[in-house]
Formats: sequence, structure tokens, C-alpha cells
Amino acid sequence: MRTRPATRALQYAAVVVYLIFLGFPLLWLISSSLKSPQEFASITPSLLPKHANLSNYTDALNEQGLVRGLGNSLQISIYSTILVLIVALPVSYALARFRSRLRPLTNGWILVSQVFPVILIVIPLFMILRPLHLTNTIPGVVIVYMVWSLPFALWMLQGYVAAVPRELEEAAAVDGATRLRTIVSIVMPLLRPGLIATAMFTFISAWNEFFFALVLLQDPELKTLPLVLARFVGAEGQVQFGPLAAASVLATVPSLVFFAFLQRRLTSGLLSGAVKG
Amino acid sequence: MKKVLTALLAAGALVTLAACGGNSNDSNGSGSGSNEKVTLKFQSLAFQKTTVAATKKIVADWNAANPNIQVEYVQGSWDSVHDQLVTQFQGGTAPDIIHDESADITGFINQGYLADISKYLSQETKDAVSQGVWDTVSKDGKVYAAPTLLQSYVVFANSNLLKQAGITATGDSLSWDDLAADAKKLTAAGKYGLGWGLKSPTATMLNLGLNFDAKFFDGTGQDAKATIGDAELEVPKRIHAMAYTDKSIDPTSLTQSGSDVLPGFYAGKYGMIVAGNYVAQQIAEEAPKGFQWEVLPPLKGTSSKQAANPQTLSVPAEGKHIEQSAKFIDYFMKAENLAAVGQGDWLIPTTQGARDAIQKATGGKNGWQQTLASGTELTKAPFQSVQNYPKWKDQIATPAFQEFLANKTDAAALGKKLSDGWGQVNQ
Repeated sequence: MRTRPATRALQYAAVVVYLIFLGFPLLWLISSSLKSPQEFASITPSLLPKHANLSNYTDALNEQGLVRGLGNSLQISIYSTILVLIVALPVSYALARFRSRLRPLTNGWILVSQVFPVILIVIPLFMILRPLHLTNTIPGVVIVYMVWSLPFALWMLQGYVAAVPRELEEAAAVDGATRLRTIVSIVMPLLRPGLIATAMFTFISAWNEFFFALVLLQDPELKTLPLVLARFVGAEGQVQFGPLAAASVLATVPSLVFFAFLQRRLTSGLLSGAVKG
Repeated sequence: MKKVLTALLAAGALVTLAACGGNSNDSNGSGSGSNEKVTLKFQSLAFQKTTVAATKKIVADWNAANPNIQVEYVQGSWDSVHDQLVTQFQGGTAPDIIHDESADITGFINQGYLADISKYLSQETKDAVSQGVWDTVSKDGKVYAAPTLLQSYVVFANSNLLKQAGITATGDSLSWDDLAADAKKLTAAGKYGLGWGLKSPTATMLNLGLNFDAKFFDGTGQDAKATIGDAELEVPKRIHAMAYTDKSIDPTSLTQSGSDVLPGFYAGKYGMIVAGNYVAQQIAEEAPKGFQWEVLPPLKGTSSKQAANPQTLSVPAEGKHIEQSAKFIDYFMKAENLAAVGQGDWLIPTTQGARDAIQKATGGKNGWQQTLASGTELTKAPFQSVQNYPKWKDQIATPAFQEFLANKTDAAALGKKLSDGWGQVNQ
């Protein structure tokens, strides 16, 4: 059935409006990063800078250890993502495929773990990590982020595993494939969109996390990006808007690249036609 | 299948453990013998570029003169510093020298987290700070921090608009009556005499309340009682009268934050604004070219007193090198050092020597003369000794003041809410 031109036009209009809605904050951020302090203080703010300049970027890069923070955040986010996927894949497979009395309990616990406020667990966590010499270290933060993201990752992946038709695994078993071979050769390729979505979620959680990093990392060399960005806010709510906007733009770039790289692989419909109905 | 899952999980665990070979660096030397070399961690919350540079210079000078007591500068931020310190105190990893503000460390003092440093501070330092300011960091005769920098509320004015209205604000102080009269004179043709960002009004009301000897609380700790009378309602009533009787305060500005009113100030929408003195730095940096501004003399009711909430330097009670840390703090308190950091952050040093140094360095320009003058009358306010003040402020006082400033309740209702609310939160 062909879509009528008027309907098609409306669809395009809706997409454009949605894109503007999504893109405007980023445009505003980039515009702000190029404005002078005088433009920030204008009673009639303009969408685009009148006299664009890069001094905010110079300030941000020179004074706040931004590049080092970017590197630390990137390192921590990538390690956390990899570790979460390594742990979550087999566990979610087991939860989705094996019937057990423990399953509802496990799922319930995963849900409950999500309701604890960070502030409630940060001190006990600190006390546990300290004797292990994991405070003020990148591995310590990676472990915390992994544990923090794992419940939700399990939830996400379980759904994807459940969506993989059992018949495919049965067919592989009939052909003589072992369970491991089935998981590696049949299930994992079909799970790729799920794994990528989970990776995105885990990466962005780690990339944006502030509080654990604040408490666990004291060495200036180890500070993550959110901690560096916080430096642009002073006592009494003073904010260095220009450098903060510039730093935020720079902070957004790696995650945009990461997403651009992954989203092309986030294909859906991979399963359609895999099983004849 | 079980074997496979076990193998996969074990692989995950091994990767994790392999990543755990990092070295923790949370010890800072051992022993505290005065001849043994120690390295102290100093977490500084300096914000402005100039202050960061000034603080680093102080550290470098100290390190050059004290090879056995080396100080390591660690840059912190004001954001969530309280939660960070709470965790570090619990875990015994707090920095050797802690930078914070007195309002925040009051709880730490009560919980025994901070060391008494009075015996390590020189007489020169003790004499240089007024007793009212020492009181904000003391308890039961013990001194738990050195107060470094202060802020006060000051009146900024558009010099050209003052001139046009024939207003000359000179002298040692500006009475509230004069402020109201000036604001009225400046109100014309859609422009207001005064813009006042009172989105979070409680701190302003209680700080400036001291102008009229407002106490708000009697007693200390959890035994404190709320006392809301005429003195306590004086400042809110005057602001309300300017906004709704004289119509000389823009009522919209009352819903904005302190710095939100600045664009209107630059654009001539307001002839004056009341804000923290540190806003001068923002004005100097971002005001349009040719914008003429000044700081008016300190506000005065029955006195020019305001509450002091100084930035502080303190030492954890469980610190390994309390004496050495306190010696560095004592050095930090020297007039030239405090002047350097105060000037950088546009804040008022707690010592007269440092204030004089800034006066000399700036020639009193950019409002420094009046700003420094406003710092001499800062003292401890009763609310600073009240344990549940933060709870009362957030849950009771702020909404009550906001309603009053929005002209939704009268002064009697405001007083009742403030008083009854204390009973609710202080249980």
C-alpha cells in the first residue's frame, strides 16, 4: 500500500520537528561555547554568537586537565562496558533459558537493587574497597561501575535472549552443535543489537557518573570528566559558563563518536524470517 | 552447559581481577616526628584562575621553605564536597588539610571529625581575626578551623542612573530607609530601582537580619527554640514593602537567583541590585563596555552586622600529621597570602592585615573599598549553632519566605510558619 503524499509530508515534518527538539540543546551548547562573557550577560540572548571566538576552548583545555579527564573517562567507560558484557551475556542467557525457582528471586533482587540511592551505599562501598586498596584507582571505579550497571544490563539482555527463537538452538543441536558452539555461532550474532544497546547503556552510565568517582578518586591524575566539569562551578553557585560550555562540547564528542560507530550496527529485523511460521 | 557458564563467568572474574593491580596511594608518610619528612595532602576548592594560581604559589613557597613538611596541592570542587568529606572521614582518607566553609564543617565538628588546632596557631593569627569570626569555627573553647575568606551582601549600583537621579551614596553606611528612598527615586518609566534575586531567600534574610539584631533562634544544637518577633520580620517586611507598596523592586527578580538579575542590571532595567560581594568579579568581567558601576556603603539597620560564614581550613582529627598541617594553615593565614587568595576570588579576608593589603593593591577600586568595609562587621549568627537549621531552611523557611515575597501571605502568617515549622523539623 502506497503512502499518500500528504501523509508522507506530515511524517517528514514530524521527523524534522523531532530532530530540532533533539538537536537544539546541542546547537545551543555549541553556540554558547563560542560566546564571550558579555554575550552571556546580555538581556536578549541570541541563538548564534555575534563574535564567535575560541577562547573558552583555550581556557577549558589549558586550565582544567580536561584532556586527562577525557582519557580517564574513556578508559573507565570502555573497561566497564566490556566487563559488563562479559558477565551479563552468560548470566542473562541462563536467566532467560533455564527454568529454576531461583529465577523470579534473582529477577526480583535485580529490580530491588535499582531502588537503592547512591548515597546509601557509598560509605559501605568505600569501606569495602579501601582494605582491598581499590580506592583512588581506576580498577576500583571500573568494578563499582560494573556492579552498578550489571542489574539493568541483565534486564535488557534477558529480553533479547528471550526473543531468540529456541527452534534455532534446537536446530543447531540436531546438527550436532554443542551448547557453547550454539551460543557462539547462533545466539550471539542474533544478540548483537541487544549487546550493542546494552553496551551503549553501560558506556553512557559510566561516562556520565559523578558521585562514585568523586568519592573514590582523590588523585588529580585520575579524575574523570564529570569531576573536571564540576570544577567550572564555584561556591555560591558561581559558574564559568563559557569554559563549561566548551568543555561540555568536548566531552560530548567521544560519546557521539561511540554512538555513531555503534548505531550502524544496531540493526533490527535480523531475526525476521529466521524461523518459518 | 554448566561448565561453559562457569568458564565464562570465571573469565569475566579473571579479567576484573587482572585489572585490579592498581596501587592505592592513600598513605601520606608515617609518623609525625617533626624532623621526619612528611607529605601533606591539601584539597583546595579555589575556583577562580587567579585564586588557584595564588594558592599554588603559597604551597610552592611553603614547600621551598619547609623541606621536611611538603604540601601536595589537590584540586577539589565545591560541588558535593560535603558528601565527599563524609565518606573520606568514614574511611579515614580525608585530606590532611581540608578546605570548606564554616556552615558545612559545623556538623563535622559536632561529630568529632576535626582536630582542635588552637595550640598550633600562632598568636599573630589568633589576634588577626575578630572573635565573632573565630566563634564560627570554635566550640567549647576549642578551635577546629582557621577562617580564611568571607562574603557579605552588598548593594551594587549603576553609577549613571544614580547620577541622573541625583543620588550620592557616600559615608560609612547606607541605611535601609535610604535604600528604599533611593530605590523609589530610581523607579520610573518601566525601570525599577532595585533588582533582588531572592529565589533562595533564607540565607539573605537571616544574614541581613543581623542588621536589626534578628536572632531567629535561642539556644544551640537541638535544644534551640525559634524566636520570631519584630526584629526577625524587619528585613522581609522592608523588602516586601519595596516590592508591593513602593513598587520599587521588580517582583519578577524576587523569583530569580542572585546572578540572574545581572543582565537586567547591565541593561539599565534596575538601578541597583543586592547580591553577594563576589558578584563584583562577574560584573568586572562581563559588564558591557562603558558600564559604570559601584558598590554602595554597607547596609545598616540598628547596626551593619551580617552573619559570617567564612571559608575554612581544618585538619581531620584522625590525621597523622595534625601539627604539621596546622603549621601550614598558620602560614596560609599570613596577610599577604590571604590577600592574594581573597583578591583572586573577590572575597573578603578575615584578617585586617590582608584587607589592608587588598585595599592597597586595588586602591579601593571596583567596589573593593566598600566591600572590605562590609567585612569588618561580620560575626557569628545564632542560626549557625543550630543543628537542624539546614532542614528548617529547606523545608520550612524557604517556601515560607517565597510565599511572602510573592505576596501570598502576610507577615503574621510568615512568622507563624517559621515558628511552627521549627517545631515540626526539630524533633
